[in-house]
Amino acid sequence: MNNEYLIVLAAILVFPLILSVVMPLRMYRHPGALLRAIAIVSAVYWVWDVLVTSRGHWSFNPSYVLEYRLLGLPLEEWLFFVVITFVSVFTYEAVRLVIRRKGG
Amino acid sequence: MKEYTLLAAGSAVLALLLDRFLRTAVTCRREYWIALGVMFFFKLPSNGYLTWRPIVIYNPAHFFGVRLWTIPLEDFLYGFGLITFTIVLWEYFLGREGSQ
Repeated sequence: MNNEYLIVLAAILVFPLILSVVMPLRMYRHPGALLRAIAIVSAVYWVWDVLVTSRGHWSFNPSYVLEYRLLGLPLEEWLFFVVITFVSVFTYEAVRLVIRRKGG
Repeated sequence: MKEYTLLAAGSAVLALLLDRFLRTAVTCRREYWIALGVMFFFKLPSNGYLTWRPIVIYNPAHFFGVRLWTIPLEDFLYGFGLITFTIVLWEYFLGREGSQ
């Protein structure tokens, strides 16, 4: 099915997204820092991805991605970096909270 | 030399340098290394699925050719860079907000 890449992204995002709301993390108390970190890293990796995809480093199987493309990348690939950067901050903050609760 | 191999290794080194340059020192924190381990644990099924299906097809001309299961080794350096850049900048902007 051509929504498989999208489903993989949703699977990566769903539990971190729910837990980020439920757990008392610093993330949403500092929306500016969160948005800036996600935006800057995503922008750098978008540029990298557009350049190397056009050079043929990798390609996207049309059977498993949607039809929407921008600068040669499927919509899912653009979303990938926003998802991974968000999940990175979440994981870091969640681990930090658990360590603090254990008194470490 | 393979381009993806060089770029992935370079990004990992740059991420470590940025952590020094911005004085965020996240690589000296236990929570960073545990979070990296958690991310890599979940990277195996997700990156594995993307490369096994394959949803993303890697060009043998541009990577070293060694895979862990179906995942090119370069993807681990790439992931390390991506995750580290993000956490370094997150801590950097947090620190700037805190000092204002």
